[in-house]
Amino acid sequence: MTDIKEAQRTIPFPHGGIVVLVGPSNSGKTTLLGRLAAEGVLLETEIVSSDAYRIMVGDVEFLDWKGRPREEADIIYHDYQQLSNLAFEAMNTVVSMRSRLGRLTVVDATHLQPEYRRKYIDLAAACDVPCVAWVLDIPEQTLLARDKDREQPRGRARVKSQYSQFKRSMRGLREEGFDFVYMLKEPEAVQFVRRENPLLADIGAGIDVIGDIHGCYDEMLELLGELGYAADESGLYRHPEGRTLVSVGDVMSRGPKSLDTISFWKRHCDAGIARMTDSNHGWKIARYLSGRNVTLSHGDEKFAEELGRYAQKNGIDAAAALKEELRQFLLAAPSHLVMCRDGVRRLVVTHAGIRDEYIGRQSRRIQDFCRYGDTDGTDRTGAPVRREWYTGHESGELIVWGHDPRPYPEVVNNTINIDQGAVFGGSLTAYRYPEQQFVSVKAQRDYALDPDSPLIRWERGRLSPPNLSRLVNGYSVFTDAYGELSVRGDYVKAAIDSVSHFTVPLEELVYIPPTMSPTPAVSADEAYLEHPQEAFDYFRSQGVTTMVAEKKHMGSRAVLLLFRDEQAAVSYVGRPTLGTIYTRTGRAFFDRETELQVLARLNADLVQADYFNKYNTELLLLDAEIIPWNLKARELIATQYAHVAEAAELDREQLLHKLQQAEAAGRDVSGWVQEMEAKLHNARVFREAFQQYCWDVSGLDGVRIAPFHTLAHSGQSFFDHSHVWHMEHAGLLAGISPLFMETEYRVISSQADEADVIRWWEDITEDGHEGIVIKPDRFISRNGKHMIQPAIKVRGRKYLHIIYGIDYLQPDNLKRLKQRKTGKKERHALMECALSVESVNRFIRREPLDRVHECVLAALALESDPVDPRL
Amino acid sequence: MHLIIRASGAGAGMLSHLLAKNPNNLYDRTEKDARVRIVFISSSEEETEAVIYVTPDPVELVKGDSQAHNDITQYINDREFVTSSLFCTYIRGALGTALNGKPKEAYVPWVKEPLQLELSFGPVASNLPDRTVEELFTALGYEVSIERGDAEYSFDLKTRSSARYIRLNGRQTLQTALQQLFVLIPALDDYKHYYISDDEVDKIRRYGAGWLEQHPQRGLILRRTLRFAGAIRQYEEAAAKELRSAAEMPASASAAEVPVPGVSNGPAEEELKEPRVRLNDLRYAAIARTVEELAAKASIVDFGSGEGKLSARLSTVPGVREIKAVEPSAASQLRALDRFAKLEGRAGTVMPEPVTGSLFYFDESLRGKDVMILCEVIEHIEEYRLDRVMDNILREYSPKTLIVTTPNKDYNAVYGMEEEQIRHNDHRFEWGREAFSAWCGRWARNYGYTAELTGIGELSEAFGYPTQMAVFKKGEHL
Repeated sequence: MTDIKEAQRTIPFPHGGIVVLVGPSNSGKTTLLGRLAAEGVLLETEIVSSDAYRIMVGDVEFLDWKGRPREEADIIYHDYQQLSNLAFEAMNTVVSMRSRLGRLTVVDATHLQPEYRRKYIDLAAACDVPCVAWVLDIPEQTLLARDKDREQPRGRARVKSQYSQFKRSMRGLREEGFDFVYMLKEPEAVQFVRRENPLLADIGAGIDVIGDIHGCYDEMLELLGELGYAADESGLYRHPEGRTLVSVGDVMSRGPKSLDTISFWKRHCDAGIARMTDSNHGWKIARYLSGRNVTLSHGDEKFAEELGRYAQKNGIDAAAALKEELRQFLLAAPSHLVMCRDGVRRLVVTHAGIRDEYIGRQSRRIQDFCRYGDTDGTDRTGAPVRREWYTGHESGELIVWGHDPRPYPEVVNNTINIDQGAVFGGSLTAYRYPEQQFVSVKAQRDYALDPDSPLIRWERGRLSPPNLSRLVNGYSVFTDAYGELSVRGDYVKAAIDSVSHFTVPLEELVYIPPTMSPTPAVSADEAYLEHPQEAFDYFRSQGVTTMVAEKKHMGSRAVLLLFRDEQAAVSYVGRPTLGTIYTRTGRAFFDRETELQVLARLNADLVQADYFNKYNTELLLLDAEIIPWNLKARELIATQYAHVAEAAELDREQLLHKLQQAEAAGRDVSGWVQEMEAKLHNARVFREAFQQYCWDVSGLDGVRIAPFHTLAHSGQSFFDHSHVWHMEHAGLLAGISPLFMETEYRVISSQADEADVIRWWEDITEDGHEGIVIKPDRFISRNGKHMIQPAIKVRGRKYLHIIYGIDYLQPDNLKRLKQRKTGKKERHALMECALSVESVNRFIRREPLDRVHECVLAALALESDPVDPRL
Repeated sequence: MHLIIRASGAGAGMLSHLLAKNPNNLYDRTEKDARVRIVFISSSEEETEAVIYVTPDPVELVKGDSQAHNDITQYINDREFVTSSLFCTYIRGALGTALNGKPKEAYVPWVKEPLQLELSFGPVASNLPDRTVEELFTALGYEVSIERGDAEYSFDLKTRSSARYIRLNGRQTLQTALQQLFVLIPALDDYKHYYISDDEVDKIRRYGAGWLEQHPQRGLILRRTLRFAGAIRQYEEAAAKELRSAAEMPASASAAEVPVPGVSNGPAEEELKEPRVRLNDLRYAAIARTVEELAAKASIVDFGSGEGKLSARLSTVPGVREIKAVEPSAASQLRALDRFAKLEGRAGTVMPEPVTGSLFYFDESLRGKDVMILCEVIEHIEEYRLDRVMDNILREYSPKTLIVTTPNKDYNAVYGMEEEQIRHNDHRFEWGREAFSAWCGRWARNYGYTAELTGIGELSEAFGYPTQMAVFKKGEHL
């Protein structure tokens, strides 16, 4: 990078880094800096001078030993040396601190010895900032003349000696490792300008970051069209709102139209409407174009072939001109870009990765890192392993990168990978900011035809068994909705046991229905334990204005993963199947025979309705309630609910009979008789209550599936859709198959709506229905930074008999039951909701099994953590 | 929960005196968060009838019951209604005088006087069949009638109620009758509410005096009341001592023979459709022999090690230095830990290391071992999941030797099983010799192993061995 220029009219400052002045005493360093400070080019704080530090440390700038007896001169000289050393030490500490912050620092000292200069070169390299030398080359005569006019002249001998030292050390200066060396013969004639950090740019009207294009020019134009860019009369693609296009690099090589693509980016960057970062292929091609001896491989040879064809068609000269243009363009590409809003870094675009401390700086090391990522490790075959640099990202900017293709954009730890392997037959992705949206275009075909392409490798390894050691002793999961959440080893082990023995295969376990809290506050009404009013109050207090109330079916929770056909399942779950239906704990919902029947019926109905084509999806993932209750819970009902009902009734009938006899015999037991009558009534209400939810089914007749969340189609989850949409979609599904049923719901946006829903709730629960679920209109809602409950259940007064016991409404029972605490349940509801959303999104993005499974296993682990089961 | 005592005929009027209750008053006390009430329906010389009933506090009842904590049905709890040890605890105070046979001086002679009694109690929640319930009381000279609750539901749920009501008729002293109920009500019930303490053993001895030792169902009663082997042993020792001192007979050694219910049917235990115990031992022996003969056997992975029997068996094989017993179930692992602890310090024995894991996960620490064993494991995995499991084992773990055992379906004929029957409910499949051989051949070819097939157990000419064993060895050329 060393480039020596003669003094010229204008000299730019680096935006950050170290400027080392080199020149003997009296060469005008301090004068020059004083002028720049006065002109406002430099801040006073950007200048550090050894003279100033000598004063700061030792109160004097100079100790004069001239004309002293030798013994005295020796001592004074020694003192001066000591003062100088300590002053430099203090100054260099400050230079180092400033460099670590990426600030500009100009060091005002003579720097006549190479070893002094070396210090700053090393320091700058360690801090990844540039180091520049300004050499004040002033004739000896001028120096001597100026010394005479000084307050404290250094003396003729000393000036002469410094001058010859200066001249000597000039010879090797150019090879010392400065990024730039400027020779200033007449500093007063030179203009100095402050340069902006070239890596920084304003987000402006918004930006669209495009993933690795690799010569997929047609797909790129298609994508630009989707993004709303259109060619103007000069052929430049502009967005009507003035958005900026940004490329993560690797626009060429491997694919069919590298030259068109890179020329496109050059023209748009030149026009100031696009930016492109450096990249591994870009750097390789730049070196090739510079005539370096590089071996072209990994598709770079295709670029050379295109150039060859260009030369044949347009002639050698045109080709040479093009090569030179492209060379300069590629060499000028910044290692990364930092997009700011209001001067604050928001988004970083880099090709292969970046460390937090590199953001906004430039150095060889940073350029390498941004081109290749963290390449320290190698795998068993000696191939480099990309280390997960993004796990260390903490500084808050969103980092968008490419380089390492994966089938769907991967959002990890505030970093987003948007290389979806277009050239390998994947897709070309754009990430829109600040909208935070992905737009993508499928590749027309696999151009690279690499049997070991990253996408193929990804797919091959995608379903490999999850790594146990990372999970078994507890771990944390980063979720978009909740951030990081941790699960304890004990609970994880219990979940691993469950997954190893009882659940459907891991590959098919993609969503665990989150638990749901009842109203955080119990009913203020003496006659109720739960009431919708408290749910409304909760959501209103969290700033929710629109809610949806859905009828809660008393059945068994079920997750349905349904595929278009058996073959469609293979790439998702690794085996041909029409789907899976499992319970909230991940176990098969039906016996195998029944499941096959249900799946076949649903599939036939969905295909008949052309569902999969209409929605262009390979799969349908549903969260549902399957009724009747006895379908799944018959054993539980018989051994618990019915058994208790029978025992209670038997007990109370016998006792009532005997107490009536006692009363007839003249005992004073009328109070006891009345009490027993009421209790017998309670027992009968209880017995009636659970029978409401049960009926006989024969085959599939009588089985009803009520979906209330349409979780996902292929490539898309619906967590961003309103609950009204989910309800409407459930209605649509009910029209498709008689196995599906609609769920009643109400939208609440006013006091009147609330009153209406309370009446509705009273009606249906008095009828014996379980109750309702109240949700904010969006899946994930927040109050400020905090996620709020995604749903609150309000169970009916009658239904709660089967939860809180036959006599729960007796005033003294109810009073104590109202002391319940829902804190832990609410916390679990939030965490499980975040995990369930996360696991579905990862599954839909076709992330590796262990990435999906870590969410599912964490949700199962949370379920092993005991919470009051009545809530 | 209630008990109705009706005395009739001669001495019936003594009932209230023996209970030390004034029949004209209502008895209403609170005992341990439960309301205990007694009312007399009649009290004449010919007939006296007392109703004793308890109303526990349903909210207090489930507090502090940590085991039931995670069960939603805890509040839907029959404990509030059925007669159980809890019931006996609640009414012990109210019936203390009668139980201890210590009425007022004037009525002491009546303590030893049998009365014509009708004892009605319930509801009873018991898994014992009616026949056994009847036997428990007919052996004591009662006539027994059993009623059941109402099992009519709007949908098909059950054929009869699980709540029973028991009525006994017989001549018995009130004290003995109550003592019998205080032993047999908890014995009938499926659940005990407290830990079995020394007091409990003592109580059974006191209440059982004079009738329990001769009861034909003595063993059953002890098992169901004391529940734990230690307590039963303690009871037996005390009984034997008494017997000895009474008849100067030598002590019997039967104490340790008492079966311990509730411990023998762990989830890993197979059903006894085959002579399981012997075959298990034979399998372990065959695997141990195979391992012994291997050149490389220093490190062993026992997958699905369950309670650690095979790992313990292999721990003494010379040349073995490391055994990883991999098992996902924490309950099984705890039992394995007990088993392994007994090996500690024995010469020439390697302590197996319990590892949480299963075939559906990848565990770096199991790579490249000498021997990996899947003993009766694969048949518990859905057939369609086996491919990925085997890929994981042979490609990633890549053991020098892999030993797989699985039932031989052909052999089921020898057990007289139907074609579609399987040996264990959790078996997802069972393979005949041909199927297993083809499967082994395929995997051996895929990953450059040799596969040698043998059998374990008693050979049948027509059907082969009951258990099939395959020994895969990594090809020398690889």
